[in-house]
Order: sequence, then C-alpha cells, then structure tokens
Amino acid sequence: MKVCDFIRPASLAEAREALKNLGSHGMALAGGTALHFLLDEAPVTAVDLTRLGMSYIREEDGWYRIGATTPIADIQRHRAPRWALHEICRRMATHQIRNVSTIGGNIARVFPWADLPVVLLAMGAEMAVEGDAGEELVGADAFFAEQPAKRFEGSGSLLTAVKVPALAAHHGFGSVKVVRTSAAFSMATLAVKLELDGDGIASARVAAGAALPFPRRLPEVEAALAGKEAGEAAFAEAAKVAEGAAPWRGKEGMSAEYSKHLAGVALRDALERAARFARERE
Amino acid sequence: MMEATVRFTLNGEKREFRTDPDEKLLDLLRREGYRGTKFGCGQGTCGACTVLLDGRAVYACLLYSMQAEGREVRTIESAGTFEKPSEFQQELIDGGAVQCGYCIPGMIMSATALMESETHYDDETVKEYMDGNLCRCTGYEKIWAALRRVLDRREAAAKK
Repeated sequence: MKVCDFIRPASLAEAREALKNLGSHGMALAGGTALHFLLDEAPVTAVDLTRLGMSYIREEDGWYRIGATTPIADIQRHRAPRWALHEICRRMATHQIRNVSTIGGNIARVFPWADLPVVLLAMGAEMAVEGDAGEELVGADAFFAEQPAKRFEGSGSLLTAVKVPALAAHHGFGSVKVVRTSAAFSMATLAVKLELDGDGIASARVAAGAALPFPRRLPEVEAALAGKEAGEAAFAEAAKVAEGAAPWRGKEGMSAEYSKHLAGVALRDALERAARFARERE
Repeated sequence: MMEATVRFTLNGEKREFRTDPDEKLLDLLRREGYRGTKFGCGQGTCGACTVLLDGRAVYACLLYSMQAEGREVRTIESAGTFEKPSEFQQELIDGGAVQCGYCIPGMIMSATALMESETHYDDETVKEYMDGNLCRCTGYEKIWAALRRVLDRREAAAKK
C-alpha cells in the first residue's frame, strides 16, 4: 500500500470526517503492520488513529472494554479476574509486532488467518462502532458475518472499542492456535466458551478460523455439546461433528483432509482447556 | 519526493527530518547515517531492524516514519561503542556469540527493552521479549547464554 499523505486528526470526530471525505482514498491507520502487505496500487492518505485516547482496558458492568488502538502486547500483559484474552495474544506474531499491532486493526479488516475474530466470536464479544448516530454496539456474529472492512469503507464510521464479557463462575474459555513456528500464521485456530452447570454443559460457543476461508462459529458443534457431560466422550464426539461442520481447506502444504483432522484435534484441546478453566480458575 | 516533516527524539536528541509519507522509519534512519539498524527481511519477521519506540521494541521496517512523530526513538547507536561496549555487548564478545553479526543490533535492542521493562527474568519472560529476533547463523545458544549472564547478574544485584 502506497501512502501519499499522512494526517493526525485531533479528535474522533475529525478522524471520521477525514475518512468520510477521503472515501476510498483514505486508510484508517492504527499499528499499520498489516498495511505493508496490502498490495493495492492506488495511493492512500493514512489517517492516524493512535493519538485519540483509544488505548485502554477498563472494567465496565461485567464487561472488559478494550480501546480499539490498544496494542496486542497490552492485552497480553493484562491480568484480571477470569480474564482470558491474554493467552491468544501471547501466541500472536512476535514481540515487536505485538507492541505495535492493535486489537482494532486485527479485526476491522479480517485476514483469513486472524486469531482474534475466532476468539471474539466464541466469547460473544461486542464491537463499539462510532457512526453518525453515535455509538452502536455490534455483536460478534453480525460484525464478522462478512468482511468488517466493508462496513467501514468510506462510511466515516469507526471501530472504537471491543467489549468482552468477564466470564462468570462456572464459565470457561479455551483457545488453541496451531502453528509450525511460533511466529507463523495460524494453520488452525479454535476457541470455545463453555457454560457449565455442575458437570454438564449448559451451553457452548465454538468458533474456528485459519483453516477456513473466513472465521466463523460452528453451530452444529455447539448443539452437539449442549446438555452433555463436560468430558472426554462429549469432546471426542464434538470433534467428529466438527469435521463435517465447516469447509475445512488445505493450504501451504496441508491437504484439506489434514486440515480437517487438525481442527478436530485443536477443538478437543480447546474444549479441555475451557472445562479446566470453568472448574479450576478463580 | 520529500514532502513531509517528522519530529522525534532520536537517541536523546530532538530532531526534525524531511521524509516521504510512504517512507519507513528504517529507511529514514539508514539514510540519516544510523546504519547499525539493519535491513533484513523488510517484512517484520527477522528483527534485524529492531529499534525502541518509547521504550518498546518495534520493527522499523514495518513502521512509517510519520508514526514516530513526537515519540522517543532509540537505535543501536545508543547502546554502546567499540571502545566502551555495554554490559550485554561485552558478554556477547566474551562468549564468542557474534558470528556474522547481522542480527546482533536487533538482539541488543530487544534485550534492552527486556532489561528496562522487567525486573524478573524467568525463561518464559525472556523468550517473550526475544521471540521476534532471528539469527540465521543459528547462534542462539551463545547469544542466550550471554544474555542469561547479564540477567542473572542483574537479578542477583537486585536481591542485595
């Protein structure tokens, strides 16, 4: 991506106005680490969003609100009761990228290998989008129903924060990212939120990405888990259901068959982690 | 085409540079003579271009120079000299840890961020700070051992 001009708006309103006026010639910039890989020929004006006070993590009525330009490293280092986002953040890219790359930049334009959309889908996160009518909260299912960048292009609306629910007691979360080397893009990312009632699964949210064209939930797997005892038998069954629940695809030397198998194994691992989280973590 | 201006503190000195909005911080630094910061992969993988931005290790090859406006940038030129190497640089020399040397400036900047940001240096923490620097000579063992000597000494001193 060729940057022909660089502006630093003084407020969110100014940033929105600038992006609206620029239309397809404007590019919202946070960490910018992915911009270098967009190969569009047409030069753009970069609109720097990192100086608008959108880097923070706050607790808010049972939710954690994370500013859109909060670096991945800050989310990774954050610790709070029943906070689960640090695990996947530690597994993303490298130290230097985590210091610059932001949560907003990671999800406002979704690359197929992205981990955070998977995690946010499973968590039931909400995205705060500032538009002409003020702030709108968009649920993860709607937000990731198609490429989120489409929602923002030329509209002047901006992602300002991500809200993830603080997990209640007996709720657990697990995320697994399979890679060949620690800094490589994901081969398969699976995430699970389990709500336990005693030993039983009251409900489950399951999402996957990287081995798929686009991150998505796996409703058949969720249905297969509901009402079962949280344990090996149900998890193995869920992995079997997962094989037919999404168009697993091969890439970078992996066959589609391998990718499908990998997703099943990663799912079992994520389920075990989520169950352990629900039972053991304070 | 130099049509923009960027101001930032470079190794403790307030500076102003002409730049192009598309120029990467790495290219600006090298153009201005700060050639200790290396161009390796140019795509945020190898870590040879690591500099500190407000004390955090970043890849200068992935950062537009304009993103540094008003920030504090530190390069390897701030770390020590041939005559007076830093503690880690001396350990690298003593341990024979420098092979081709291309990755070393980046390694030192990541280690600097680690030493300035943390007080406990368990292996997991060290790995976390150093996971974005590759050594194509695969000289990791000696680099790690040299760093470990510095960190152990610091931890021991802190306990006193």
